[in-house]
Order: sequence, then structure tokens, then C-alpha cells
Amino acid sequence: MVEPIGDADLLTDGDLRAVAALGSVDVLVGVPARNQSRSVTHVLEVVRTGLTTALADRKSAVVVLAAGFQDETLDAVKGWAASRPSQPPVCCVRIAGPPSRSRVMLGLLDILRRLESPACALADAGLVSLTPETLRCLVQPILAGEADYVSPAYTHTVAEGTLTTNLLAPMCRALYGRRIQQLLGGCAAVSQRIAARLLDTHASPGDPTDDGLEMRLLIETLASGERIVEVHAGRKTLDAGLTPPDLATTLAQTVGPFFRLMDRYREVWSEIGGSVSVPRIGEPPSILPEVGEVQLDRMVRGFRLGLKDLLPIWEQVLQEETLGLLYPLGLLSPDEFVFPVEHWARVAVDFAVASHERRLPRGHLPRALTPLYLGRVAAFLRETQGASPARIVTALEAIGGAFEAAKPGLAARWR
Amino acid sequence: MREAWSDALVTSFREVMNRLSHIAPRVLAMLTLILLGWAVAGLASRLAVRLSRVVDLDARCARWGLTAGLARSGLAQLPSLAVGRLIFWTIFCVALLMGIEALEMPATAGLVAGVIRFLPNLVIATLVWTAGWLLANFMAQAVLIAAVNAQIAFAPLIAGAIRWLVLIFAGAAVLTQLGIAREMVLLTFGIAFGGSVLALALAFGFGGKELAREILESRLRKEDQNDDHMTHV
Repeated sequence: MVEPIGDADLLTDGDLRAVAALGSVDVLVGVPARNQSRSVTHVLEVVRTGLTTALADRKSAVVVLAAGFQDETLDAVKGWAASRPSQPPVCCVRIAGPPSRSRVMLGLLDILRRLESPACALADAGLVSLTPETLRCLVQPILAGEADYVSPAYTHTVAEGTLTTNLLAPMCRALYGRRIQQLLGGCAAVSQRIAARLLDTHASPGDPTDDGLEMRLLIETLASGERIVEVHAGRKTLDAGLTPPDLATTLAQTVGPFFRLMDRYREVWSEIGGSVSVPRIGEPPSILPEVGEVQLDRMVRGFRLGLKDLLPIWEQVLQEETLGLLYPLGLLSPDEFVFPVEHWARVAVDFAVASHERRLPRGHLPRALTPLYLGRVAAFLRETQGASPARIVTALEAIGGAFEAAKPGLAARWR
Repeated sequence: MREAWSDALVTSFREVMNRLSHIAPRVLAMLTLILLGWAVAGLASRLAVRLSRVVDLDARCARWGLTAGLARSGLAQLPSLAVGRLIFWTIFCVALLMGIEALEMPATAGLVAGVIRFLPNLVIATLVWTAGWLLANFMAQAVLIAAVNAQIAFAPLIAGAIRWLVLIFAGAAVLTQLGIAREMVLLTFGIAFGGSVLALALAFGFGGKELAREILESRLRKEDQNDDHMTHV
């Protein structure tokens, strides 16, 4: 039995006994949940079907991990499990302490190590688009020893995942040299090896990269040069009843940890040049030109307001040359608004350097990026709205290229 | 007549000389102490700056985020220089106090003892003011970012109001700690703070009734407003 990791108060003795009772399994499916009693049973039903049909020849178990005492998710799971066959076994775990996604992830990785399961699939309790086939595709490459991390790749419209397409994915591509579509796709599969490595290098509960643990799983794989595979997972649909966090909080929860992880993996990314595609299982995902009802003028207004009122803060973050490039954009009307990718890449680099040099408090920096991000997304949607798939691909490629071109400057400024 | 005039002159001269002979060594001692203090403070300051640079204090502080924190608070100075200045002024102030004490004048009698007695209050007041200053900057920045992201007009005005509110509160706490016009500070602060809150409440209630309704409606109907068919992650 492996000793508990540093954060020993994650799992109670009762939970540890329940986990130990699962015995040794080939496939562990972790379902992190937080106030998702509405959709968790649907996801569990899909997982159960996947494990009993497509992965019937493998011994498997499901662990639902919830955080926070107010959460009713586990009650919903227990009610659901009582009326279902006992296979695969479903274990409910309530992570002690403050409710955080990273603590839940840490708990899941700890359980994975305890059970010595070779493969672990992760399925968010709100991911209602998950199918049994997707689950199989995620787990199979790990079990076959063909990959250490399997990431989903979704068919999406240009208005979906704009933070990923405009910042996270291109920056990840420039830094770690692999063109991966999703950094936080809602589901993934990971090998025991990667999980163990992450637990071994996990510093302490107070680690500043704590809140990016889910993202760190992927980046650890990329940084260590391990095999990574993408699986086409159709369209991504989250439970409509979930209230997403506001945009600034989303940036703080994703871009903040991403920048902080750059400190940890500096020696790796500073040596990487160029980028390559990631092997993919299944059809390539499509990009649809539909934009839907998006208030572009509101986004441009947000950008302009930022340029007017957040200037004293941006002056602490952005270089003078970058600010000089932004001023003329504030004069453009929503109909003619553009935000060139080269400018955007400079902005991202300046923010990453500012995060490294801690020029703003940790929570403030990614939030201060919000108006700039809105401006960039407005320009991106204007450019790609109704465009042909080839043109959209070209636009996305241009973003990745701009970030790759900006990387030498980033590395030079990283003291 | 002439003798009396001569006596008065001589007596006066003697008295002045007598007094000067008493005071002069003390003044000389004061000047010596101040000059010595200035020289020692300068030397110690330079030594401290050099030592700080030897141990790479500036780079360490930059890595720990202290330099950026000081810059955010308006102290755009290298930590090594800041340490040097702190040491210089501490030593110089001590020398100055010793010099004043050396005068042995009735007006300055017990000055050092008084200052030493007052020192804990001064230290606490300095800490309170520093904390208040940092908090004011932090909160103003947080409010500014949040207000701009919520696309609220006059965001800098709101952030400025928050900064001054925290600074005034810290200032009142500092004056109370130092015992300076304690009753007046408490009364002024209470009246000003209570009055401002009441005025704002009335202004918002009467003048901004429609605005209040709009804000509440936009908050409560957030889902309707944010009906953009887009996801970010």
C-alpha cells in the first residue's frame, strides 16, 4: 500500500476503506463533481454502459469525488447506484477541506495510485455529451500502452472554446511544441505513470500551481515527452443547468495556472522550437463557422473601456511598444474592429512575463486580461463568422504561428 | 556714572561669556554627535547597500515579488537602496536625539525618554499605516478591474473612492494609536463616515431609483443578458 501523499487530510478513513474495498482494477473512472446532482447520474449511466459493454473484459470501478459539505451530488449518486447492478462498483468520496477542483483531482490521483490501476479516465459530472464509445476510445490507448495521456478533440463552432483556440492552445503549442486542441476538455485518460510522477513532484497543498492540477497532468505529459493521443469526441455539451463562472473568474482559473506552470517547466519549454501535430484516433474534428447570437459590439465596448480605465494597470504589465499597438484599436468601430494575432501574441507574452515577475497580485493579473481577451475574441469572430472551414483553419493556424514567432522574445525576457 | 556703565558692561559681558562657556561645550557636543551620527549613518548605509548587493538582495526580492509589491505601492526603489536609507535615517535620528539631549536644556530634558516611551506607539502606527496603504492599493485595484470587467462606467471613480475610504480609515486608526486628538478624530470620522453612507444611501434611493432597478434586474436576469452562444474553455 502506498503511503498517503502530503495532503493527508484529503480522504477520510471511511473513504479510504471504501476505496480499498474496490480492490485492484484495470480501469478507474473518476467523476469529479461539484453541485452537479442534476447531470451526474446521466454521466454515470454513460460510464456504466461504456464499462460494461466496450470495456467489459476489463475490471473497472467508478469513483465519484465531490467537494464541499453543501453538495448534494453524492446523495444523488447513492440513490442512482442503489437501483443499478453492482458492477462496476461505484464509490463515493467527499474530499475534505475547502472545495477546490484541484483537491478533487489530487484525491483522484491518490486513489489511482492506491488502486494501482494502469489507466484512469476522467469524466466531468457535467459533461452530458460523453458517450460509451468516447470512454472506450479514451481508455484503450492507455491500456494498450500506446499513450500516457489521451485528450478529447471536439467538433466545435468558432464561438465555442474561444479562450482555448485564441490563447491556451496556441500558447501551449508554442511552449511545448505539440498542437493539442483541448487543455481542459472535460474528459481525458491518463496512465498510472503520469499520475505517479505528478504526485511525486507535487510540492505541497500550498503549491502555487495547485489550482492548475488538471492542466498540469497534460503539461507534465507534454513536458516529459511522453506519448499523447487525441480522440475525436464529437460535440462538447455541458449540463445547461450549470451556471458557468463569469469570464474574469474563468480567466483566473485557467490562464493564471497556465502562466504559473510556465515557471515550473521553464527549462523544458525554453529548449523547444517549432511544433508538431498530435496523433489522433478517429475522424478529425470539424470547425463550424456558426457564431450564433454573440454581441460583438458589447465585446468591443468592453475592450475600449479597458483601454480607457485599466490603462494604469496595463502599464504595469504591457511593454510600451505593445501598448502603442493597442491604442489605435480603440478607435475602431465594432464593424471594422480588428485585433491582429501578432498584437495578441505580444499581449499574451507580456502578461506571462508579468505573471513570472509578479507585477500584479496573483488574482488580479489574469482578470486584468479580460477586456483584451474580449477584443481579441470579437476580432476573431468577425474574421471567422461564416467563413469556409479552410479559412477558419488558416485563421487558427495564424494564431499558433504568431505565438511561435513570439516565443524567442518570451524566452529572452524570462529571467 | 562712567564706572557704573563700565561695571554693567563688564558684568553683562562676563555673564554672557559665562553662559556661553557653559553652553558652548554642549552645543559643540551636539554638533559633534550630529556630525558623527551623519558620518556613521552614511557609512553604515553604504555598507548595508553593499552587503545587500553581495547577497543579491535585489534579485531575490524581485523573485519573491517584493520589488513588484513595493512598486505597486508607489515605492519604486531597489530594495538594497531602501535598506540603506532605512539604516541611514535610523542611525541619524538616534544621533539627533543624542545631540538634543546633550544640550541639557530644560525644554529638551527627558526628550529621549519621551521618544523611547512613544516608540512602541510609533512603530504600531507605522505598521497600521503601511498595512492600510497596501490594503487600499490592493482593494482599489481589485475594484477597478472588477468594475471595468463588469463594464460599469466611472470605474476609476469607484476605485478611487475605495482607496480613499481605506486610507482615511487607516489614518484615523493611526491618529487614534498616536493619541493625537483622539476624541476629535473619532467624532470627525464617525460623523463623516456615517454621513457619507447616509448621503449615498439617500442619493441612490431617491436619485438613482431607476439605476438601482436596472442594476438589480440586470443581475437577476444575468442568464438572459449573457445569452451569447459562446463558451470560453
